[in-house]
Amino acid sequence: MTDAFEPRILAYCCRYCAYAAADLAGSMRLAYPPNVRIVQVPCTGRIDALFLLRAIEAGADGVYVAGCLEGECHFLEGNLRARKRVDFVKGVLGEIGLEPERVEMFNLSSAMGPRFAEIARDMTERIRRLGPSPLRTDDASGETALGRCA
Amino acid sequence: MIVADRKPLAEILSFVASCRRILIVGCKGCVTVCNVGGQKEVEILAASLRMARRLAGDPLEIGEALLERQCDPEYVAELRERVSSCDTVVSMACGVGPQFLAEAFPEQRVVPALNTTFFGGAVRHGVWEERCAGCGHCVLERFDGLCPIARCSKNLLNGPCGGSANGVCEVHPDTVCIWDRIVRRKTARGRLADLKAIVPPKDWRPAGHGGPRRRVREDLTRTS
Amino acid sequence: MNRASLTGAVVVSGGGIAGIQASLDLAYAGYKVYLVERSPAIGGVMAQLDKTFPTNDCAMCIMSPKLVEVGRHPDIEILTLSEIRGIEGEPGSFRVTVEQKPRYIDLEKCIACGRCAGKCPKKVVDRFNRGLSQRRAAYVLYPQAVPLKYLIDEAECIYLQKKKCGACAKICPAGAVNFEDRARQLTLEAGAVIFSSGFEPFDPSAIDTLGYGRIPDVLTSLEFERILSASGPTRGHLKRPSDGAEPRKIAWLQCIGSRDINRSENFHCSSVCCMYAIKQAIIAKEHADPPLEGAIFYMDMRTHGKGFEDCYNQAREKHGIRFVRSRVHTVDPSPSGGGAILRYVGEDGLPSREEFDLVVLSIGLQSERPLRERLQELGIALTEGRFVRTDTFDPTATTRKGIYVCGALSGPKDIPQSVIEAEGAALRAGADLAPARHRLTSRPPVTAERDLRGEPPRVGVFVCHCGININGVVDVPAVRDYARSLPYVTYVTDNLYSCSQDTQNLIRAKIEEEGLNRVVIAACSPKTHEPLFQKTLADAGVNKYLLEFVNIRNQDSWVHMEDPPAATAKAKELLRMAVSKAVLLSPLAEEEIQILPRALVVGGGIAGMAAAKALSSQGYPVEIVEREAELGGQARFLHRTARGEEISSRLADLIREVETDPRITVHRHAELIQVEGFVGNFRSTIRQGTETKTVEHGVTFLATGAREHRPEEYLYGEDPRVITGLELDRRLRRKDPRLGELQRAVFIQCVGSREPSRPYCSRVCCTHTMISALELLDRNPQAQVVVLYRDIRTYGEREGLYLEARKRGVIFIRYDLEDKPRVRATPAGLVVEALDPILGRRIALGTDLLVLAAAVVPHESTELARFFKVPVNADGFFVEAHVKLNPAAFATEGVFLCGLAHYPKPIDESVAQAQAAAAAATVLLARGKLTAVGTTARVEPLFCSSCGVCLAVCPYQAPRFSEKGPFAGRAEINTALCKGCGLCVASCRSGAIQLQGFTDAQTIAMIEAAVSG
Repeated sequence: MTDAFEPRILAYCCRYCAYAAADLAGSMRLAYPPNVRIVQVPCTGRIDALFLLRAIEAGADGVYVAGCLEGECHFLEGNLRARKRVDFVKGVLGEIGLEPERVEMFNLSSAMGPRFAEIARDMTERIRRLGPSPLRTDDASGETALGRCA
Repeated sequence: MIVADRKPLAEILSFVASCRRILIVGCKGCVTVCNVGGQKEVEILAASLRMARRLAGDPLEIGEALLERQCDPEYVAELRERVSSCDTVVSMACGVGPQFLAEAFPEQRVVPALNTTFFGGAVRHGVWEERCAGCGHCVLERFDGLCPIARCSKNLLNGPCGGSANGVCEVHPDTVCIWDRIVRRKTARGRLADLKAIVPPKDWRPAGHGGPRRRVREDLTRTS
Repeated sequence: MNRASLTGAVVVSGGGIAGIQASLDLAYAGYKVYLVERSPAIGGVMAQLDKTFPTNDCAMCIMSPKLVEVGRHPDIEILTLSEIRGIEGEPGSFRVTVEQKPRYIDLEKCIACGRCAGKCPKKVVDRFNRGLSQRRAAYVLYPQAVPLKYLIDEAECIYLQKKKCGACAKICPAGAVNFEDRARQLTLEAGAVIFSSGFEPFDPSAIDTLGYGRIPDVLTSLEFERILSASGPTRGHLKRPSDGAEPRKIAWLQCIGSRDINRSENFHCSSVCCMYAIKQAIIAKEHADPPLEGAIFYMDMRTHGKGFEDCYNQAREKHGIRFVRSRVHTVDPSPSGGGAILRYVGEDGLPSREEFDLVVLSIGLQSERPLRERLQELGIALTEGRFVRTDTFDPTATTRKGIYVCGALSGPKDIPQSVIEAEGAALRAGADLAPARHRLTSRPPVTAERDLRGEPPRVGVFVCHCGININGVVDVPAVRDYARSLPYVTYVTDNLYSCSQDTQNLIRAKIEEEGLNRVVIAACSPKTHEPLFQKTLADAGVNKYLLEFVNIRNQDSWVHMEDPPAATAKAKELLRMAVSKAVLLSPLAEEEIQILPRALVVGGGIAGMAAAKALSSQGYPVEIVEREAELGGQARFLHRTARGEEISSRLADLIREVETDPRITVHRHAELIQVEGFVGNFRSTIRQGTETKTVEHGVTFLATGAREHRPEEYLYGEDPRVITGLELDRRLRRKDPRLGELQRAVFIQCVGSREPSRPYCSRVCCTHTMISALELLDRNPQAQVVVLYRDIRTYGEREGLYLEARKRGVIFIRYDLEDKPRVRATPAGLVVEALDPILGRRIALGTDLLVLAAAVVPHESTELARFFKVPVNADGFFVEAHVKLNPAAFATEGVFLCGLAHYPKPIDESVAQAQAAAAAATVLLARGKLTAVGTTARVEPLFCSSCGVCLAVCPYQAPRFSEKGPFAGRAEINTALCKGCGLCVASCRSGAIQLQGFTDAQTIAMIEAAVSG
């Protein structure tokens, strides 16, 4: 892909570690690309494989899950389960012909503001190199759950 | 429960290659409990197929349904209206499901999403093992709760074969030698002498080797 | 005093951050508080700061919730424009006379509309903005003031002075102006008094060589702070006073009015100036369009707190700030008109001249001169530095029983230390009055929750500017307007500081007027302010879980400063995501958890024992688990405190008190081997030898301490003449006669500290070396003592020890990390070689004794951290909940932190932190219960297949099978135990469990809102 596109990336961040690290990155005024949208979850163990698949289906170019360092999950094992689910989703993506690298799992602690920024940068770069998701629609069409409610 | 595996996506996609609209039907019975055909798996399969078809430039409309069980015609009947408007129904139940669906809706094309494998249970979350072969004549009392028909690779009824080593079956290192277990359990209970009684060759007709099986309870059927 | 006559109220004098914290802790613990504040509003100096070190958090942002909380708390009565005149009576039943100056505006009637100020013709120099701007005679102290009320400056008001004008009275829509107001004398009944009156900044006009007052571009640090502040006179734009131009080169001069017995009366070090100068330099560079050059002129760089050394390193390496070791002797006006010229002598001895656009004087902190006499009249003794005198082992008690002190009034200190002392003082005051707890407090009126069933969602969106923190990058008005276009949004507005009291009032009003049933706040991080807004919703009758918080500061404006359009687009998208989730939110209920009134303290050193005593004195039983055979921790090895107190006898007293206390049980030679449960209900298993014992407790204290580093350099361990600081203390305690025969002793500082492998400063070693050096000189006045150092960090009044050491002939030679001293052993003695920067030559010192000031290293704590689910930082110290505002607790509920396990510190600071931890624990214990979160998991039994996965997966044993009712056999969640992590939800085979507040539907709605459009 030679024409510059702006990756749309969703990041699921656990409240105790990754979200706090993101806040710290902000307090430290570290810069990272504005392509990442953070969704806070209480623990990455909350993340269903479906969240990752639906994000890709909705047109996200990349999705990542950021949780506590392994062995330090605030809820003990949630991040370990999350990793397995991320691996499962990578498998599904492979089966349907999408790059498994569009989905990833990262681990960091709440004190690692610079690492958060680095992850955001690295993932944005990775997706930029992979190119836009073939499922991405740039028009404003597409029913959202909100639209269905109305 | 009945345990199954989901077919590879490529295979399922080949089943629905010429379809425009499909209905994926899950089951709240066995396949939910073994995490292969319940609510979540239906949603995941739907999302995966939708994405795959969009990538191929041939969008597929997918409806999702979940039945209490697919092995009872009363539940299957609930789908009547939804089924008529789609090209193919994809059943995520065990092998019984697609057949009941096909029978209830004879004009409808029904395909399976699963490969049904065995009767078994969860030894821990995420791991299911075979326990029962449906042989029609249960001999568990004889073997103190350990079934050699389902769990012995050779269905032996009179003791281990020469391939049993360190409690493991020679066919596969992950397979426990059930005869090793039976012998140990009998020994621990002081009942090893039980095994001296020879079990005659099994009549395999109740196991289905004589044709498809049927069970009738006269007291429950209608008189006419 | 008998129990019946105890008054369950406390007077807190001084409404700065210390006074605010003390008031909150006391009110939460069940006491009525009178917060007496001299100025028209609370907030103190912290309200004037732009940012706080070391995290560069915005000061108002972190203080606002506390201000609002104090303003809103029914048991805290704020008395502004008031001062204590006298304290009569006995501890437990004081009569405090307070003089309250007239406000001339009725507090009840004023609606803070500001029209009086708008009409007032009299301009006055604005002291809040440090004289850099003007206000009117009718004014409000600052826009986020609590209480948010106007007042009339009596000395400047034309009507009050000359009976002319009176325009404000005519224009006031509420009829609040009252020229007949008079000073009042109030007598308050209180059981204890806490003084938290803070400090007075040093006035540098006395030092004529610095040009302050003559040269317009020479400012004090406080004045510069107001310039940096978004709500200050220049709205946060860097402008110099002379011509309004943006400075390109700024100098900070350290130690102005501190460590200066020649031109000021202050020998002491003001503790905070090095850090605040670094902070200002970094922030100034951020505010300015690059490039901005910053240079800090200093004698010793004192970055001795947690995280401070890192900040110093970053300032040099990442931000390129110059550090010049020199005390600038003269500041001359620049011939070009603006800026100034510094004249100083460098380390090479050569004079230099350097021009700067702006010069900032890092002024010191001293106690207020008029206050000094009044305190002494009240029976409160002062130190040599004229701060309130306290005892090392009781650092918040004054010399008058029942009267306590905290914050800068007892010595210059930073915000975390002030907060710790405030909590400690609250604990001491509260402990005195424990039998009178809850006697004078009110039952808070709870607003009934509106029944929202049947209502369609009506979403209110409030977008925050956060000063310039958000609006400086994100186009807030555009985001606000975008919000109007989102479905179900019926009200939008933007605010300067959403966390301030005035915005809370606005939100409440709008909820009622517009019938809002969902609120979306787009501002900073929910981690900072979610509880504040949740409370506002609850007060307005809306379930507090109908709030969605959008982070457009820490996760947007602060990290995308280079790309405002992208930051704005991101803010809009995040807002869209939040609204789509908000619409699907439901009201949630909260369970109550009972708190077992019993504590467990891990670690029996000074901090552990002080915490145990603090709790026991209030009637709570405590168990101490100590790994060693005896109590005392590191204090067993120490000789004397900085104040000259002998430690071993005081320690023995403390140990005896603990051992004979009927409510304290000590387990020696004991370790924790298993911990279950969580706040309110911990079950810990202690192993002592071969026996195990399980203890149930409601709260836990981690006071596991630290040890002295064993140096691996300077021939330590190879030559017996090389010893560590603690080893010297042992010889001093034993009165080792060899010490009296020393000809020379050499100390090397920073052994194992401030190095790449251990980058932090161990805080206590410089002071400790001074104490030891003076002790050696006492034993042999003829001995020569030499100290090789990198920066001397004798902060606060400890500077007096450094001064005395120099007076008595101790020689100080500075060395750099890149050129450390070298030690050789010869038959004649040790030889220490180093470069003397003053001489410019290498020297060799023969010595009989080499003392290494070795680092303080925390004990290994991974297992404990796992047991209690608390974090540990890269240096091995436990990580507190918030560096500034919650330094004695963990983010994990019910677990508290004190002593060396947090960070190296001297005894008085350990005791203070232990008391602070106890104060925080007391809040839980006094209430007896904790309300659990509402965002728990919920099983829809119709979908449940009773497979049991949720039971297997949950770390907290929250799911169980229902035993009776129509859904017997299906899973259900014990909401009191559920922590809301969602593991069961994602693991449920049937999709039967949802996590309230984070349901699948809500999350998928956010995903689709994120990626669509």
